[in-house]
Amino acid sequence: MWTWFYKLASPPYVYAAAAALAPWFLGLAAITVGYGLVDGLVYAPPDYQQGDAFRIIYVHAPSAWLSLFAYTSMALAGAIALVWRIKMGHAVAAASAPIGASFTVLALVTGSLWGRPMWGTYWAWDPRLTSELILLFLYVGVMSLRSAFEDPSRGDRAAALLGIVGLVNVPIIHYSVTWWNSLHQGATVAKLGKPPMPGSMLWPLLSMLLGFMLFYGAVLCMRLRGEVLNRERQAKWVREAIKS
Amino acid sequence: MGAGGNQIVSTDFWSMGGYARFVWPCFAFAGVVLGWNLWSARRYYAAARLRAERALEAAMAAGEEA
Repeated sequence: MWTWFYKLASPPYVYAAAAALAPWFLGLAAITVGYGLVDGLVYAPPDYQQGDAFRIIYVHAPSAWLSLFAYTSMALAGAIALVWRIKMGHAVAAASAPIGASFTVLALVTGSLWGRPMWGTYWAWDPRLTSELILLFLYVGVMSLRSAFEDPSRGDRAAALLGIVGLVNVPIIHYSVTWWNSLHQGATVAKLGKPPMPGSMLWPLLSMLLGFMLFYGAVLCMRLRGEVLNRERQAKWVREAIKS
Repeated sequence: MGAGGNQIVSTDFWSMGGYARFVWPCFAFAGVVLGWNLWSARRYYAAARLRAERALEAAMAAGEEA
């Protein structure tokens, strides 16, 4: 296990592994998202209260979930880089931030469009919505901080620290609907023992969740290759890789 | 169900029970975000590769001069 962990610290290994994994992730993402879209939009029955508006869940929930997953990955990669001084941790964190930020925007926009017919407003300063907006600001802060220093290694360390501090917002987002009175509905998928939706609605949602995760993996691999090249362009192995 | 029936089903599908102006923009924006992620990741890699190629050319030119 430790051998595998130390391999991940090697830039040539990460560069090659990312190149090999990206097409697989992307292909599987296309299949699962395609299935989720067809099943969710065509075959899933309308909700007895929300009608067809509930179908927004098939893009809203996966994007919201991914916004948290990408942030947690970014913060953990930053923490690994700080503790074990593994440079690739900073590269993973830098590659993860713009992907997570874009899916946070998607979660906020789709949530707003879902809120209008259900709550009568596009926006409310509700605990879930507000904490998700703070997550977007954290992403922007981490990305800005990384590029604010002339010395890239200082920028990496500062961004990793902010990412770790901001991790406190992740459980706040998740539990905001149970800790405070919220317009937002409670957990849908987390209650796997007794999910509050029938299988005909749940399966396309799980497929979309998996598809978005695979898509994140594909884009992360593609961005990571660029990060590795940017950070290692003076290294001998990069010159050999470019020549070949 | 004949062709007319299919047309009714199709119209119902696109109208999304009266919520079309909320549902379809969500899916369209999701498509934009997924597309932007792919485009920007490819662009980022291409720019990084170009910089690495230029660094290699500069190093080779410096080596020839020496």
